[in-house]
Amino acid sequence: MLVKTVMVTKAVTAHQDEPVAVVLDRMRESGLRMIPVINADRNVVGVISTYTVLEKVVPSYIVSGDLHQISYAPDMGILRRNYDEIAGIKASEIMDEKPLTVHQDESLLSVTAAMITYTKHEYAVVIDEQHHLLGIVSAGDILDRLKRKAQGGDDA
Amino acid sequence: MMHNGGEHITSVIFGLDPTWLAVSILLVVYALIMMERFNRAVLSLLGAGLMILCGVLTQQQALAGVDFNTIGLLTGMMVIVAISQKTGMFQYVAIKAAKSVKGSPWGILVMLSVVTAVFSAFLDNVTTVLLIAPVTLLITDALGVRPYPYLFAQILASNIGGTATLIGDPPNIMIGSAANLSFYDFLVNLTPITPVIFAVILLAIWFMFGRDLHASDEHKALVMRFDENEAIKNVPLLKKCLSVLFLVIAGFTVAHSFHLEPASIAMFGAAVLLLLQTLGQPLHEKDHAYEGIMAEVEWTTIFFFVGLFIVVTGVEHTGVIEMLANKTLELTGGDFNATAAAILWVSAIASALIDNIPFVATMIPLIHSMAPTFGGPEALVPLWWALALGACLGGNGSLIGASANLIVAGFAQRAGHPIMFLVFMKHAFGLMLLSIVISHLYLYFRYLS
Repeated sequence: MLVKTVMVTKAVTAHQDEPVAVVLDRMRESGLRMIPVINADRNVVGVISTYTVLEKVVPSYIVSGDLHQISYAPDMGILRRNYDEIAGIKASEIMDEKPLTVHQDESLLSVTAAMITYTKHEYAVVIDEQHHLLGIVSAGDILDRLKRKAQGGDDA
Repeated sequence: MMHNGGEHITSVIFGLDPTWLAVSILLVVYALIMMERFNRAVLSLLGAGLMILCGVLTQQQALAGVDFNTIGLLTGMMVIVAISQKTGMFQYVAIKAAKSVKGSPWGILVMLSVVTAVFSAFLDNVTTVLLIAPVTLLITDALGVRPYPYLFAQILASNIGGTATLIGDPPNIMIGSAANLSFYDFLVNLTPITPVIFAVILLAIWFMFGRDLHASDEHKALVMRFDENEAIKNVPLLKKCLSVLFLVIAGFTVAHSFHLEPASIAMFGAAVLLLLQTLGQPLHEKDHAYEGIMAEVEWTTIFFFVGLFIVVTGVEHTGVIEMLANKTLELTGGDFNATAAAILWVSAIASALIDNIPFVATMIPLIHSMAPTFGGPEALVPLWWALALGACLGGNGSLIGASANLIVAGFAQRAGHPIMFLVFMKHAFGLMLLSIVISHLYLYFRYLS
C-alpha cells in the first residue's frame, strides 16, 4: 500500500502568520490535534500540534527534566501566564519546523516505521518535490484502512 | 611525580627534538580545548596517544603519570552524587532555605547562595548548580522577580564554596593529591578564608542588585506555599545516602592519620551505597539500577583527566617544566613571597579565561620543581594554597571560567533570561579580583609575613 491511497487530501491548514490562539480554535473546530503550517505559496513550513503548544506553556526548566519532579510546587499560575504570552504570537514562532514529511509514493510500511521510530508523531505530512502540501496521513487513517482490508474491503 | 631532564627518552619518531615535540603536542591540545570546537576528552586522549606513539613516553611511563587518586576520588564522588540526587534532598534543602526567610527576595538570594556554596564545598560544582538552578528559576518565577541576580550569585557561590575543601573543586583534588595535602589540611588552611570572601562578595551583590529586589506579599505567600516535604519521595534511600555521605566526609577528615588516600574512601563509599541502594531488589532490577548509575558518571571528564595527566607527564619528561619553573624563579628573584603572589594572580587570571584543570595540571609539576630553591617540599605548602585559591576563585572571572558557570547560563538561556558573556564579565570580573585581593592578604598575613 502506498501513502497516496490513505492520505487525506483536503487537509485543514494554518497560515504561518496567524496567531496561535486562532490556530488552536481552528484545530478544535475541526477536531484536529495537529495542523500543517503553510506559507503564501502553500509550501509546508512546519506543523503545530496541541503537544507543541503545551510544551511551550510549561517552563523550560521543568521540560529539561533536571527537577526530576515538582509536586512540591503550588499552582503558581505559570501555565496561564505563559499561555497568555504565546496566544497572540505568530504560528511560525512556535511551530515544529521539522515535522515528519513523506512523499505520496512511499510505502505505508516505511511511513509507519518512521512515525514510530523517529518522531513519535501520530501524523505525517505528505508533500511533493516542491514542498507543496498534498495531504496528511494519520495513524488512525492507516489503522482504518487495515481494518477495512481485513474485513474484505477494497484493496489498494 | 619528579622527573629529570630528557634522559628517559630513548627514541623519538623521525629523530625529532623530544622537547619541541612534547611541547607542541601540549600547546596544540590546549589551544584546541580553548577553541571548544572538539570534545576535550577526545583531544586530551589524542594528545596522550601521540605522546606514546611518537616515543616521548612509554606506555608504562604514561600510566605512571596518571594520578589515580584524583581519578578515583572523582569517580567515587560521582557515583555517590548520582544516587543521592534522586532522593530530592537538594530540592528539599533549597525550598526549606527559601521559606526560612519568609519569602523575602534578598533573603532568598542569600539562602540559595549559601546552600549552593555549602553543597559545592562537598560535591562537584556542576552537579550542585544542575540541581539548584532549576529550583531557583521556579522560585524566582513564583516571586515574580528576574532570575539574573540569583543565578549570578549562585555562580559565584559555587566557585567560592568549591574552594573551601579538598573535594570541592577538581583543582583542589589534583593539588591535594599531588602535594600530599589531606582533607584536614584544606579544612584548616582554606576553609577559614572562604566564608570571609563569600560574605564580602554577597555584600557587593547587595549593592549591585540586592537593594532593588522587591516582591509583593502575594508573591511571597506563593513561595511559602511550596511544600518541601513533597520533594522527598524515597525516605529509606535518603537515609542511606545521608549516612554514606556523612561517613565518607568523616572518613576524609581522618584518612590521613590512617595513611589512607581520599580515593580509597570515596570508592569504598560508592560501592557501599551502590549495594545499599538496591538491597532487597530482584537481581534483574539490581543490574538495571547499577547500569543506570554507572551511565550517570561523567566519563568524559574522567577520560579528559587521564589524557591530560599523560600529556603533562610527556612534557615533564623533557625537562621543560623544570626550566619554566627556573625562569619563574628568576623573574621573582627567588623571593618566596613574590613567587606566591605571582602564582596566585597568574592562576586567577588564567583560570578566568581558560579551563583551570589543564592549567593546574601544568602548574603542579612546575611548583614541585621549585622545592630545591625553597628548601624542600615542606616549604612549598603556601604555594599550593596560592594555586588553589587562584585557580578556584579565578573561575568566577568570566562565564567560561568554570563549567558550572556555563551550566547556569544554559538554564538561564532556555528560561528566556540569557546571561550575556560581557555583561557577566562586567559584573563578575571585579568581584573575582576582589576575592583574590582578600586571598592575597590572607596568604600574606598567615604564611608569608
